[in-house]
Amino acid sequence: MPTETVMRNLLIVWTDFESRLNTVPILKKLSNGRFSIDDYKELLVNHRQQVVEGSRWIARAASSTTSEYLDQRSTFLKHSVTEHRDYEMLESQFCLIGGTLDEIRSAPKNIGTEIFHSYMFEQSSQENPFHLLGSMFIIEGLGQRKAKGWGLAIKELLDLDDKAVEFYVYHGDNDPEHMEEFEQTLNSGILEIEGMGEKIVKTAKITALLYELQLREIGNY
Amino acid sequence: MSEAYLTSFSEFLPGNPVGNDEIEEYIGIVGGEISKYKKMVLRQNKITSRYYASNKDGEFEYTVAQIAAKAVEKAFLNSETDLSELEFLVTSCSIHDSIIPGLASLVHGQLNVDHIDVSSNQSVCGSSIMAMRSAVNSIRLGEFQTACVSGSEIASRHFRPTFYESTAHFKQVNALPLDQEFLRYTLSDGAGAAVIESRPNSNSISLKVNWIKARSFANRFSTCMIGGAVKEEGRVVSWGSQPSLEAAIDKGCFALSQDLKLVYEMIPVWVGHYLSLLEEGLIIPEEIDHVVSHYSSESLKTEVVKLLTKVGAMIDEEKWFSNLTYKGNTGSASIFILLNELFYSGRLKQGEKILCHVPESGQAYNSFMLLEVV
Repeated sequence: MPTETVMRNLLIVWTDFESRLNTVPILKKLSNGRFSIDDYKELLVNHRQQVVEGSRWIARAASSTTSEYLDQRSTFLKHSVTEHRDYEMLESQFCLIGGTLDEIRSAPKNIGTEIFHSYMFEQSSQENPFHLLGSMFIIEGLGQRKAKGWGLAIKELLDLDDKAVEFYVYHGDNDPEHMEEFEQTLNSGILEIEGMGEKIVKTAKITALLYELQLREIGNY
Repeated sequence: MSEAYLTSFSEFLPGNPVGNDEIEEYIGIVGGEISKYKKMVLRQNKITSRYYASNKDGEFEYTVAQIAAKAVEKAFLNSETDLSELEFLVTSCSIHDSIIPGLASLVHGQLNVDHIDVSSNQSVCGSSIMAMRSAVNSIRLGEFQTACVSGSEIASRHFRPTFYESTAHFKQVNALPLDQEFLRYTLSDGAGAAVIESRPNSNSISLKVNWIKARSFANRFSTCMIGGAVKEEGRVVSWGSQPSLEAAIDKGCFALSQDLKLVYEMIPVWVGHYLSLLEEGLIIPEEIDHVVSHYSSESLKTEVVKLLTKVGAMIDEEKWFSNLTYKGNTGSASIFILLNELFYSGRLKQGEKILCHVPESGQAYNSFMLLEVV
């Protein structure tokens, strides 16, 4: 599958996912202006449990990459380092709006996050798991295209300081570079591996579905 | 099943073209001063002239039904078939003359033709394709041999200053929000029609309808363009649910509005819909000779072009045909006014394929139609 076809299919998956998110209850509340501080607390508690694991599966993907693909391994490693303490922002945001560190750290994963987490670890343990680029496309896409809007809407609606929505706004400001990195990796020769393009698209579809599920299952532990 | 052919077209644009400097002479000035958004909106939509159904005194010389009827009559004057052979009249519009009856009945009332069936389609721009599908499928099923589809709008009626100046919002700030000024400087009046038959023309080209593919995303987006109601916490509250007509006016139920932020959020699903049709093999960019696309502004077009180019799905810009900048954005009438000009331009050759695209921001609808010159 040539790069263009992969990108085209990823865009189809993305546009479907992005608009489906509008039907997720907590995000619907946000766009309708009926999102409360308790909703925000719950979002942070639930989101943190996924983000804290994010760099672990990227690092796992790096360790599953064989020596023929050193450049790709470096990309995974760099990406993992960039993100591995991001969840701390969510914790301090939670404290800023009246929560405690203990509360957010001890909360379990919701049932959607459990499935998401299991899938990501299982996939990143496979040899040369470049199909996870499909997952990155979805997760980075959320950062680049959605997070900032959510952050700013929450800030305005709940009358919060910048610091209380930093994680979301920060990702909107920083992730364009990650997307460029994404395209470079896609063009780095991995599409020559048989069936890789199709696998990337399928992984993007599954990741989108599971991500949506964890947002739908907020509060369901 | 038989084929359906678009065999003739028409446009009816009321009055004379109105340049950018004269707009307010027709739609008036809200709040005594020309809007600060005017220049920005016109720069974005690139419209340089349009038509209005009113004269400079603000009197309306036509109704929506009348301009539709004129377009239908003109389409048959351009046709090998006579108006008396019409069997099925299908109309489309955003807002017409009355709440009851339907527009198709009002248009039929203006036409000297007997023994026909009618169907009224109301939405926004996309109502044209909904109407087209209804006529095309009826022809394909063999129910009728001759149908006519119209699109007609008199948007300017709703742009009159008195329609806004009585709202509580206006009384408070003495100006209109961009969401309302955008529409005042973007939409204008006009009608267009197409004759659809079960056989092609014998003396000239026809356009065979290869397929119509449309999708509603209304479950995924909240109402974007609203008239006759207001949005409260994401819910649509009708003028009819207000305690009195005065309360409905006060709340701004009758001030047409479009959530521009939401329009931009919709663009990705329109693009996704197009890309899915490419992946299904229904659209092959290299095989498309003309793109007839109805965007509500040129700026949306730029956004779309950027995305499509990135994934190798862009159809060369020289193949795109548009007349929105000099005939105005006339909602449901636009696709007919576009096709009318292209059809009689002498540019179409046998075997060429025309991809029509009509998106609708009302509540996220998107449609494509593939025509083949025969």
